[in-house]
Amino acid sequence: MREWWSKICRALHLRRGLDDDLSDEMEAHLDLITAENIERGMPPGEARAAARRAFGNLTRMQEKTREAWQFPRFETFLQDIRYGLRGIRRSPSFSLVVILTLALSIGANTAIFSVVYSVLVRPLPYPSGERLVWLGESTAKASGISITWINFEHWHHDNDSFENMAAFAGEDLTLTGRGDAVLTHELLVTSSFFQLTGVRPALGRLFTDPDDTPGAAPTVVATADCWQRKLGGDANVVGESVVLDGTSYQIVGVLSPRFQFLTGAVDFYLPLGRAAGSSHKRSDHGNIRAVGLLKPGATLTQARTNLDAIMQRLALNDPGPEDDHRAYASYFTEVMAGDVRTTLLVLMSAVGLVLIIACANVASLLLARSTARAREIAVRVAIGAGRARLVRQLLTETIVIAAIGGALGLLLAGWCLRTLLLIGPRDIPRLAEAALDIPVLLFAAAISVAVGLLAGLAPVWNAGKVDLTTALKEGSPTAGTGRRGQTFRSTLVIAEIAITLMLAFASGLLVRSLIAAQRADTGFDPKNLLAIELQLPESRYKSDDSVREYYGQLSRNLRAEPGVSDVGLVMCPPGGGDCGDFWYSILEKPTPGRDDVPLSLYNIADANYFRAARMRLLAGRNFNELDRANGSRVTMINERLARQEWSDPQLALGQHLKVGGPYMEGPTLEIIGVVANISQEGLDAERSPTFYYAFSQKPSSAMVVTLRTNGDPAQSMDAARRQVSALDRNVPIQSLRTAEDWLGATLQRRRFATLLLGLFGGLAMLLAAVGIYGVLNYWVSARQREIAIRLAIGAQRSSILRLAGLHATRLAVIGIVFGAIGAWGAARWLESLVFGVTARNPMMMLLAGATVIVIAALAASVPLWRATHTDAVRNLHEA
Amino acid sequence: MSTVDDPRKALEFLQGTLEVLILRSLQSAPNHAYGISQFLEQQSEYEFLVDNGSLYPALQRLLQRRWITSQWKKSPNARRAKYYRLTPLGRKQLVAAKSKWMRFVEAMARVLAPQR
Repeated sequence: MREWWSKICRALHLRRGLDDDLSDEMEAHLDLITAENIERGMPPGEARAAARRAFGNLTRMQEKTREAWQFPRFETFLQDIRYGLRGIRRSPSFSLVVILTLALSIGANTAIFSVVYSVLVRPLPYPSGERLVWLGESTAKASGISITWINFEHWHHDNDSFENMAAFAGEDLTLTGRGDAVLTHELLVTSSFFQLTGVRPALGRLFTDPDDTPGAAPTVVATADCWQRKLGGDANVVGESVVLDGTSYQIVGVLSPRFQFLTGAVDFYLPLGRAAGSSHKRSDHGNIRAVGLLKPGATLTQARTNLDAIMQRLALNDPGPEDDHRAYASYFTEVMAGDVRTTLLVLMSAVGLVLIIACANVASLLLARSTARAREIAVRVAIGAGRARLVRQLLTETIVIAAIGGALGLLLAGWCLRTLLLIGPRDIPRLAEAALDIPVLLFAAAISVAVGLLAGLAPVWNAGKVDLTTALKEGSPTAGTGRRGQTFRSTLVIAEIAITLMLAFASGLLVRSLIAAQRADTGFDPKNLLAIELQLPESRYKSDDSVREYYGQLSRNLRAEPGVSDVGLVMCPPGGGDCGDFWYSILEKPTPGRDDVPLSLYNIADANYFRAARMRLLAGRNFNELDRANGSRVTMINERLARQEWSDPQLALGQHLKVGGPYMEGPTLEIIGVVANISQEGLDAERSPTFYYAFSQKPSSAMVVTLRTNGDPAQSMDAARRQVSALDRNVPIQSLRTAEDWLGATLQRRRFATLLLGLFGGLAMLLAAVGIYGVLNYWVSARQREIAIRLAIGAQRSSILRLAGLHATRLAVIGIVFGAIGAWGAARWLESLVFGVTARNPMMMLLAGATVIVIAALAASVPLWRATHTDAVRNLHEA
Repeated sequence: MSTVDDPRKALEFLQGTLEVLILRSLQSAPNHAYGISQFLEQQSEYEFLVDNGSLYPALQRLLQRRWITSQWKKSPNARRAKYYRLTPLGRKQLVAAKSKWMRFVEAMARVLAPQR
């Protein structure tokens, strides 16, 4: 090894020094002999000559000595690299095309890979993040629902597959007593949470078990960000108290900066056990979720079985309504990535296909060049180059080109990645962490070398087949254009066309889906609609009456503002996501089985909401003032729910919806109206069944006030802020956005994916066009003589066109057939990304096919023109 | 052509012997290439004739293995020359090689000229 290293050093840069040193040494050697000869009495001139004779051939000695330094393989490798670089300089346009092709495809692949790596692969920034498991409960209908405190306690203490477990629940509380009231985000956690996530305090301490028990003194840990922004970054903050929703909590610690759990911002951590620990019912669901750290070697299945066994034992000892609930467990990395996974994998495959096209292009270009070099190779073989040596040289040349392409690609990837992060949707977890780090660099290097090897193999394979005598004798540039070479190049073109068709089809589908989603019937009128998201501090608005009173007054005040035509209240605005789902049943219908209770989203709205949002009423009536808090309880349902249960929305009226289904507690509501479906979860989301509580009968402190304005809703924003602050300055505005913003944001991801896939589709088309052009051009060049002869003996231009055109058409048709088959197969994969159209869309297939044909025709037109305009006389003369 | 060895012709070095002999020649003191070849010729009573075309590459190999190091110095008669010196590693190597070669020589002798 050491010997090896010193050889490399010598080979690289000590070379010249060593050479000089060696001749000095030999010169000194000669001097010594000369001096001895003089001592023996020889005349100086003769003494020197005698010394030379005795020493031997100086140059030969130096050469032999140098061989001892050399590292033959390495030296030839360097030589091949030099040769490759010389080749690049010799044919700059060829090299430019190859290098640009590689740079584009390697750059795109590297950028997407860095996103995929960061979002899907990179271990979470917690100790043993790869063993973290997300825990919840599961029923026959829904999986991953919240865990009850009692169940969690039993899981935590009785399991034997987890090293540790922690529960957490989110909450929003109003911070008062430090300037204006602000809404803060809390995460309630068990004391084990901080061990599990490995976070350390920057100041003070974290929770201990005594903090985490019912009846403990209220304590709080602030995040570094909150400490800076809301607590003034005071180093003595530990021991002070903060008032959250009217309760005073003592600050015991501040977390170290840059700690992030899930994607949401958190201001304060509170002990969960203190708040929830007094719960005793096994069916008492809040919004508790849990994380567990699997023991090393334990599998997810083992863990699930383990927790299920605990659930079954609990069901025996303490029977309740949820005895059929089971444990839900899934790796944290997967849960974090969620549905981005499919999008990213589709993008990665698309960009991988682009790389294959690039590879095919480079292979066919190299093949064309190596055929032109057949004579050079034949000469090399003739004067004794070994086959292995030739192969190594050709491969090294390609890899040099690939390495240059890869390096450029890396630059490109850095730029692409920055753009991606700028335009990427904010809600993709860990997207912001994507960077050109070691794994990504390794990936780029690996694909560069792989492309170099793959593309380089084509000419090598060809070189092995060079027929010496023909190549030397023919001596024409077309020497060595065998049938095999043509077949190979044709295969490459067919593959390129097929892949391009697949990408064109996929990006077409996504573009079509985006258009469909943008044009989707929202079910309401999002224009000139402003949404003010409010959260009343519970300490100030304890009673339902106070909540009703507040929102009633605010609505009246806002309605009085000029430019505001209507004001309505809703808990979850369209496009703002859903408020949650729950079981229901219809009393007038047969009781569903335990496992067949249907689910529906729920929402809360006041009498004015449907009017203010301009939602169509399909049957019955709106809520009105007569639906009083103590009156008979009523609900409005959406069309989807109505059609799910009845053939006609009219039939729903007067029937009764039991919230919670037959097996759970919940109010019974009379259905008084049916409204249109709206895009609750987003424009491109499925329209789910929904029922609305009347705000008067189920007031909520968190509501969104929707304003219908006469003009631009942005102009009413100041008025909205003023009115909210005038009514009670302790009520914070959580957000103030137009409904169009709410809706538009739901398409962010779709736009992102569509843009990227569209780009890759375009890149594929460009590369394929270059590839088709290159191959046909070569085909024409190789047949120039044949064409010239045909023309000379009287062939018409049209028949030449037919000859060349037939060749091109055959390739295109075969490629399109294969591409169509591939696209049809891949469509199943795209189903979850497609909206408003079917994934297996024949129209889109036709369109994609037509696009590819147009591109192929454009790319083929130049070579075909050349073929038909061959100057027969000149060509034959030259030959 | 005579099949009997011509005593007037110098012996050729067997594979690997020159390196050991160089190490041996540096055992007592550093020396330059010419000195080494002189030493080997004199010690072998001119049975070995050291060819510079073998000596220099052999020195390079020993340098690469870090068995010897080199340094430019003035010779006793005030001439500049490159002196080679044994490293501790080379010294260890010499001891090992020496015993190996001694065993080899004795074994060869026992086989070729058995003493009755």
